[in-house]
Amino acid sequence: MATASPSVFLLMVNGQVESAQFPEYDDLYCKYCFVYGQDWAPTAGLEEGISQITSKSQDVRQALVWNFPIDVTFKSTNPYGWPQIVLSVYGPDVFGNDVVRGYGAVHVPFSPGRHKRTIPMFVPESTSKLQKFTSWFMGRRPEYTDPKVVAQGEGREAQLRTPGHLHALPIVPSIHRLCSPGKVSTLVTASCSFACPAPA
Amino acid sequence: MEPQPGPIPAKMNPREEKVKIITEEFIENDEDADMGRQNKNSKVRRQPRKKQPPTAVPKEMVSEKSHLGNPQEPVQEEPKTRLLSMTVRRGPRSLPPIPSTSRTGFAEFSMRGRMREKLQAARSKAESALLQEIPTPRPRRLRSPSKKELETEFGTEPGKEVERTQQEIDSQSYSRVKFRDSARKIKPKPQVPPGFPSAEEAYNFFTFNFDPEPEGSEEKPKARHRAGTNQEEEEEEEEEPPAQGGGKEMDEEELLNGDDAEDFLLGLDHVADDFVAVRPADYESIHDRLQMEREMLFIPSRQTVPTYKKLPENVQPRFLEDEGLYTGVRPEVARTNQNIMENRLLMQDPERRWFGDDGRILALPNPIKPFPSRPPVLTQEQSIKAELETLYKKAVKYVHSSQHVIRSGDPPGNFQLDIDISGLIFTHHPCFSREHVLAAKLAQLYDQYLARHQRNKAKFLTDKLQALRNAVQTGLDPEKPHQSLDTIQKTINEYKSEIRQTRKFRDAEQEKDRTLLKTIIKVWKEMKSLREFQRFTNTPLKLVLRKEKADQKADEEAYEAEIQAEISELLEEHKEEYAQKMEEYRTSLQQWKAWRKAQRAKKKKRKQAAEEHPGDEIAEPYPEEDLVKPSPPEPTDRAVIEQEVRERAAQSRRRPWEPTLVPELSLAGSVTPNDQCPRAEVSRREDVKKRSVYLKVLFNNKEVSRTVSRPLGADFRVHFGQIFNLQIVNWPESLTLQVYETIGHSSPTLLAEVFLPIPETTVVTGRAPTEEVEFSSNQHVTLDHEGVGSGVPFSFEADGSNQLTLMTSGKVSHSVAWAIGENGIPLIPPLSQQNIGFRSALKKADAISSIGTSGLTDMKKLAKWAAESKLDPNDPNNAPLMQLISVATSGESYVPDFFRLEQLQQEFNFVSDQELNRSKRFRLLHLRSQEVPEFRNYKQVPVYDREIMEKVFQDYEKRLRDRNVIETKEHIDTHRAIVAKYLQQVRESVINRFLIAKQYFLLADMIVEEEVPNISILGLSLFKLAEQKRPLRPRRKGRKKVTAQNLSDGDIKLLVNIVRAYDIPVRKPAVSKFQQPSRSSRMFSEKHAASPSTYSPIHNADYPLSQVLVRPFVEVSFQRTVCHTTTAEGPNPSWNEELELPFRAPNGDYSTASLQSVKDVVFINIFDEVLHDVLEDDRERGSGIHTRIERHWLGCVKIPFSTIYFQARIDGTFKIDIPPVLLGYSKERNMILEWGFDSVRSLSEGSYITLFITIEPQLVPGESIREKMSNMLKKFESQEDEKLLQATEKFQAECALKFPNRQCLTTVIDISGKTVFITRYLKPLNPPQELLNVYPNNLQATAELVARYVSLIPFLPDTVSFGGICDLWSTSDQFLDLLAGDEEEHAVLLCNYFLSLGKKAWLLMGNAIPEGPTAYVLTWEQGRYLIWNPCSGHFYGQFDTFCPLKNVGCLIGPDNIWFNIQRYDSPLRINFDVTRPKLWKSFFSRSLPYPGLCSVQPEELIYQRSDKAAAAELQDRIEKILKEKIMDWRPRHLTRWNRYCTSTLRHFLPLLEKSQGEDVEDDHRAELLKQLGDYRFSGFPLHMPYSEVKPLIDAVYSTGVHNIDVPNVEFALAVYIHPYPKNVLSVWIYVASLIRNR
Repeated sequence: MATASPSVFLLMVNGQVESAQFPEYDDLYCKYCFVYGQDWAPTAGLEEGISQITSKSQDVRQALVWNFPIDVTFKSTNPYGWPQIVLSVYGPDVFGNDVVRGYGAVHVPFSPGRHKRTIPMFVPESTSKLQKFTSWFMGRRPEYTDPKVVAQGEGREAQLRTPGHLHALPIVPSIHRLCSPGKVSTLVTASCSFACPAPA
Repeated sequence: MEPQPGPIPAKMNPREEKVKIITEEFIENDEDADMGRQNKNSKVRRQPRKKQPPTAVPKEMVSEKSHLGNPQEPVQEEPKTRLLSMTVRRGPRSLPPIPSTSRTGFAEFSMRGRMREKLQAARSKAESALLQEIPTPRPRRLRSPSKKELETEFGTEPGKEVERTQQEIDSQSYSRVKFRDSARKIKPKPQVPPGFPSAEEAYNFFTFNFDPEPEGSEEKPKARHRAGTNQEEEEEEEEEPPAQGGGKEMDEEELLNGDDAEDFLLGLDHVADDFVAVRPADYESIHDRLQMEREMLFIPSRQTVPTYKKLPENVQPRFLEDEGLYTGVRPEVARTNQNIMENRLLMQDPERRWFGDDGRILALPNPIKPFPSRPPVLTQEQSIKAELETLYKKAVKYVHSSQHVIRSGDPPGNFQLDIDISGLIFTHHPCFSREHVLAAKLAQLYDQYLARHQRNKAKFLTDKLQALRNAVQTGLDPEKPHQSLDTIQKTINEYKSEIRQTRKFRDAEQEKDRTLLKTIIKVWKEMKSLREFQRFTNTPLKLVLRKEKADQKADEEAYEAEIQAEISELLEEHKEEYAQKMEEYRTSLQQWKAWRKAQRAKKKKRKQAAEEHPGDEIAEPYPEEDLVKPSPPEPTDRAVIEQEVRERAAQSRRRPWEPTLVPELSLAGSVTPNDQCPRAEVSRREDVKKRSVYLKVLFNNKEVSRTVSRPLGADFRVHFGQIFNLQIVNWPESLTLQVYETIGHSSPTLLAEVFLPIPETTVVTGRAPTEEVEFSSNQHVTLDHEGVGSGVPFSFEADGSNQLTLMTSGKVSHSVAWAIGENGIPLIPPLSQQNIGFRSALKKADAISSIGTSGLTDMKKLAKWAAESKLDPNDPNNAPLMQLISVATSGESYVPDFFRLEQLQQEFNFVSDQELNRSKRFRLLHLRSQEVPEFRNYKQVPVYDREIMEKVFQDYEKRLRDRNVIETKEHIDTHRAIVAKYLQQVRESVINRFLIAKQYFLLADMIVEEEVPNISILGLSLFKLAEQKRPLRPRRKGRKKVTAQNLSDGDIKLLVNIVRAYDIPVRKPAVSKFQQPSRSSRMFSEKHAASPSTYSPIHNADYPLSQVLVRPFVEVSFQRTVCHTTTAEGPNPSWNEELELPFRAPNGDYSTASLQSVKDVVFINIFDEVLHDVLEDDRERGSGIHTRIERHWLGCVKIPFSTIYFQARIDGTFKIDIPPVLLGYSKERNMILEWGFDSVRSLSEGSYITLFITIEPQLVPGESIREKMSNMLKKFESQEDEKLLQATEKFQAECALKFPNRQCLTTVIDISGKTVFITRYLKPLNPPQELLNVYPNNLQATAELVARYVSLIPFLPDTVSFGGICDLWSTSDQFLDLLAGDEEEHAVLLCNYFLSLGKKAWLLMGNAIPEGPTAYVLTWEQGRYLIWNPCSGHFYGQFDTFCPLKNVGCLIGPDNIWFNIQRYDSPLRINFDVTRPKLWKSFFSRSLPYPGLCSVQPEELIYQRSDKAAAAELQDRIEKILKEKIMDWRPRHLTRWNRYCTSTLRHFLPLLEKSQGEDVEDDHRAELLKQLGDYRFSGFPLHMPYSEVKPLIDAVYSTGVHNIDVPNVEFALAVYIHPYPKNVLSVWIYVASLIRNR
């Protein structure tokens, strides 16, 4: 019986990606996804979503408002690997290419209730000035292979150790620098419940 | 509603009968007044009453309860009330009540009816109107208690009000009060008949008209406000009271009246007051009040309380502070306040507990903290900013303070020591001339003189002497007899002895003074004579003796008086001495006399004895020593004494007639200029000029600074005048100055070290005196000029006598002091830091200096010291020390002699370790985090231990257990089991070694970044701008690569595009027996002569034209997913179909390492779809078609997934692995011949299929990681020469630069992880003799046989076995022992065999399809190059288009490596002549000759014969297993085995082995046909090297033989294992299905 219905607890997350502050950019949209550990499994709701494009508000705040809903339920047996929301914001650059404007991640709140989180966003920077220029020119900014990288620990220290593989460049910085263009605020309502069948 | 029987109902009933309604009404009014606040309660209370009046009491009780704060009400009545309320509200409130409406009934039992009446008709408009008036203020309510009704309505109200109030206040609910009141009322009014108005009622009735309407209307809004939402209910409540009170109509009136009366009362209150008699106001005279106050109040005086009051009687105040105890700082309290408190306390507490011994209030030390404990409140935002202001602080070095045990919160910080070095004077220097020596001496003497003069000790002693004498004089004065004579005598004696002492000192001092003066003069004279002698002056020193003439007479008198005094004293002394001596003399004389007497008596005795015994005298051993008769002491002679005194005075004292001489040393003299000096002197002076001196400042033996180098002056003084500020953190241990002297440009020499004392804490900058510290050096210097040198004897005398030896010495004048910080605090390390160098004053307070640092660790010592030094335990400065001591000495706790990391760990452990280890969940989590393979991707670890199955660990535990136990069950063959174990262990060790490195990520793994385009790309992209947006012929674009780390199931698909196939075997008609002989002969001819001309016609004739030759389709199976194409027709079908197969990584782990170790194989099987007519009755043929589809396996292509993964795509034509015998099929060759493809004929021996396989999305293979690994491995260790390794690196770099895509291999890693040069692997090795014996004369056949032998060794890619980490090369003997290896090992072995066969052979590194980077073997035979695939045993000519080898990177021979530097790398287009350096770049060349590297291979391979019996046993077991499997795969059908066929097949298999699967088909077919003529037969032999059973099973499964579900099918399966030496087994499996023909 125990194996048939192992004890799990449920984490219900609903909320929304409210708005963003990107002072330099406009017409952005965002994607969200969840990163969670091995003991976690989504049971209901959408794990990923992509929002509409929003423009800056005309008032002083110049907020980019999405109000993009998030609703997902996880089940888990272990708090380890608590889900993280990963947000990535994209928007057009000067030439109209879709480029990434920010990555950010935050843990789903640990306590039930209404929480508001403001996530600082960052993007990887080009490894050199020349590359920066060309990437700007070509509209191919450096991106993470997967936005989920920002929620994971691996590969951050790695760049410290392996100073790049770009032989073409005389200078290869050992770490990818990050610049932060803005922040996104999300409103998350989390509720957590235990569903433990009594032992047979 | 709980019924509450009790006294109340009992009371209620009578009341209902008799009570005067008025009272009720008053009560109701009360309630009304309260309505605003308590409407809910009242509602609850009354609603029930409405319904069942007699039994309503319990509910009242409830209401009481609810009144206490429970706002909830019984819900049942709710709707009704609402209804009522609604109607009520609608009624006109302003109307006066109509008393006549319900006058009919009186009885209480008609109450209900009356209620209804009310509801229907009257609706109590008046009541509602009254209700509006309810909210009379609270005091009003107090006026309407029921008691007043006992008398008049209005009269006595005030008094009763009070009572009532109190009653109410009694936390009684007023309803209860009400009942009580009403109960009371019952008694006084029994006489009034029910139903008739009493006087009051009547009064009310009449006065009703006076009801002040305006008031009511005024109050309405108020009421509404207060009543709020519950107003309706209140109104309704208003209705109720009459019902409750009784059934009379009057009730209502009364009620109304009552209410009105209430209002009336409001107005009439004053009237009531009028009736009260007027009394004068109470007045207390101020005097009385004061009197009273005096009794009550105590005003403490501000006067100081005399101390005696505060202390117990007859006790003197005791001041601890004066006794030296530390009392702490009292908090500051104003004197007056203190006095007030003291007075108060004296008054309150006569025991004086509050006063201390000193008569002051006990007080703790100042409790006020110096800093606020609460963070400052941030007022506004700008202040936040201010808070956040950055403050620059200098980096502070960590203070290492291990040796300081006691640290009472030392403020860590910088301390500063100011060292002022003002100058340096040499008292001797090698360059001193003789005059200098004297001058120095003189100066020294003069300094001494000055010092003595300043102290003037002689004078001091003289004065003291005088004082003592006076004291003796006074002491002897008999006028003061108040002390006993003894004490006087005693003190006088003491004085006298002191006088004696002092006199002696004085004399000595005076003598010293005198000699000093004399010496000064003498030296000066010497100097003068020296100056005269040498005729020049070196020093400006000049001594002037000043004579001070004193008053001669006074002088003389004093002198004389002094002498006289002295004489008298001496006389006295002598007298005393004399007296003493006389005493002594007397005693000794007496002794002597006694002795004499005894002596005489003895003598007499002896004489007598001698006379008696004459010999006895000799026997007398001790001759009695004669006591000398003591002489009496001489009396002292005054004259003698006087003479003595005078002599001494003359010697030591200035005689009265002599003038006082005061020497004055000045530098007024002139130094002789150089030109007047002799040569030696000039050179001396020049030497001096060359010299310069500087000082180094050493702090704790480390140089911290140094002065500037200053030249030595002619006077041997150096002025520095520098101040060094030393920033220090610790108490200084030592402070040293080093004096360095530089001569000319030579290196400085250390003259001397000067140790400076560390200043006391009181010495701060500005107050420090300049001190001089002497130093001296022991160096020996001899100079060749006038300088006297140092450490060298010299003399002033001409004859060299009276030698002097002087050492270099001098004085440094300096001052050391502590600096003062900005805020005036001296920057001194705290006391506790000081460990050395503290003396005297602080010795007592400083434990460390008194008992030494080592003592600090010894607690007992410390405690002892603390006790000895009488530390005040109350002083907070000592607190930590005292605590430490108390802890140490009490023994309760101990000071641990160890240091523990994570000392709190134990506290934080919530369970014991054993318990934690017992937890299954913890274990699971732990194993998972360790990435143990079994648990690496374990998902959803259960929450509870009980939910974790024990079996979860079983596999893991079994593996652990079996690590060293060889499991033979799975592996049938024991040897292979051992090998498998061994491989497993090697793999584990390798994996462990690289576990860390595996986790490294490259930038490219994380970030997608476009590379900087070079000009051409940029140009292209610019060119692209002008390009058409949508060209008509789109070109293939490169796909985006995906790193395999964020993938999940279903993300990856395997795309297999099957294009076409060539030369598929075609069906043969089911031949009848009669055709057979001709067929066989034909076959024979075909085989050798290839005479298809005869063949094809017949062949064609066999088939009806309508029938196709073959209908092949392709089935791709991967990970048990099967897809197949549509069926095409003909032997050269073209499908051009794309099949999509999902890929599932093991355990859902999509990491690179995991993907690299995927062992799955893509099976591409080609089948023939055969339609069988199953129509049994021909008559039905016209009406229906009954066919059965059968599929016959034709062949397969196997491509390992790892190849696809590393290659990213596989595109090419592959040879289909067709079994040597395909019953019922034959190759159709006629077509080829007809088309005349003679040139390719030899090539088309097999069937081919063109495939394109790729993975979608494209995965980035972990190539980079592998490179990294191998790079790391290279660093590991190597026995190769360092030079060689460098050369390999260089070679590889050069090659990579030119042709980055071509494989270049110079070093490889052997199985133990060492780097080995690759040529060491190549060495002629003997193939098994057995093989050589087969074709002793045919070299080519032998070579083929050997290649076949090699190919029979199972293939196991390294990437699989070693998790894609690295490529390990095993030597050939290891390879043969392991019986597993990848291409390299096969190739090396084959190459070695070929070398031993005498062929020219090379190892060829290149790319092949489908293997990818691989190793082949190239041989040179009879004018052509052959390329051997070592894994299959096939060989290809150089120009074979179907050769799987596509690129050639390099060739490796036993002694050299050649890298392909030709333009092309396809074997078809390159020249294999390695001797041409333009085409092949060789590693060893003239510049780097081959050093003759020895091989890592063994000398000889030793082959043991395979065990035939074991092979036979294995054969049987495999056959059994396979049969079982086939039966398992056909769960719904009966599987019949045809034994006859099986035995036939079994006989046939050895033949196949013998002929290596060639050329036996037709014989075999003939034989089979002969035996199984009436069976339709389809089957084929499978041949594979043996490694494990599983691949065999897979192979059989993939043929799909078992899929035939014809009901009468029979199967035949035969297995044959041919053992080759070294346990290499060749396995043949013959599977066939037979269907009996009818």
